[in-house]
Amino acid sequence: MGVTKEQVESSLKAKLNPSHIEIIDTSGGCGASFAIEIVSEQFEGKRLLERHRMVNAALEEEMKEIHALSIKKAVTPEQWNQQQQQSNKSDAASA
Amino acid sequence: MAKPVLLKALSGLLPPTHYNRIIFASVCHNGIEYSTLPNRPESHEEFEATVKNVVEKDIKDNSVMIYMKGVPDIPRCGFSSLAVRVLKLYDVPFGARNILENPEIKNAVKSVSNWPTFPQIFIKGEFIGGSGELKEKLKDVAVTAKKEE
Repeated sequence: MGVTKEQVESSLKAKLNPSHIEIIDTSGGCGASFAIEIVSEQFEGKRLLERHRMVNAALEEEMKEIHALSIKKAVTPEQWNQQQQQSNKSDAASA
Repeated sequence: MAKPVLLKALSGLLPPTHYNRIIFASVCHNGIEYSTLPNRPESHEEFEATVKNVVEKDIKDNSVMIYMKGVPDIPRCGFSSLAVRVLKLYDVPFGARNILENPEIKNAVKSVSNWPTFPQIFIKGEFIGGSGELKEKLKDVAVTAKKEE
């Protein structure tokens, strides 16, 4: 059966109140594998593992159906802005 | 190169006799046959506790311990394969168990780490995460070690 991208997105939105979220279905459509980028204030002061645990916990129900969850990014809004600025800079430099 | 730097950083953690990769293929293959032991568990709860002890001993005895799908030379999942490649890239010795061959171990590991997916990696007895978290962790260790030089 599997889980839809929308289900994953709505659970994460409801529980972690993200300011940015991107979910990519990496399963080729069967809904068993996702890559996630998420930005939330709730990650403030939390270590990487704790952040990833929060994501896993938010998806507790979905995880029963999901085979693989690749958390590409779990950052705070502050970190996100810094990373965006940096990537803009390097884009400008390479242009 | 990150390799020697990281090795230096980790070398203090590894008993010298422990440098070779240890694969518990024989243990996994036969299953852990507690039923043949004289002090065999009386109940399912007791059996679960015994398996949990095995996991706790694994992560105590191995500076780096991976619970994976398949064995290091023949991983049975892309993420397990990635984790093994990362460990080999940094030349980290590790112990490994194949959870596909032992569901009891799989459940015990899950209850120790409270983590839903495999592979799962423990460093110095501490749960690190899966392949993604392992990559980050080893990168951090290498960077820190470089700074301290």
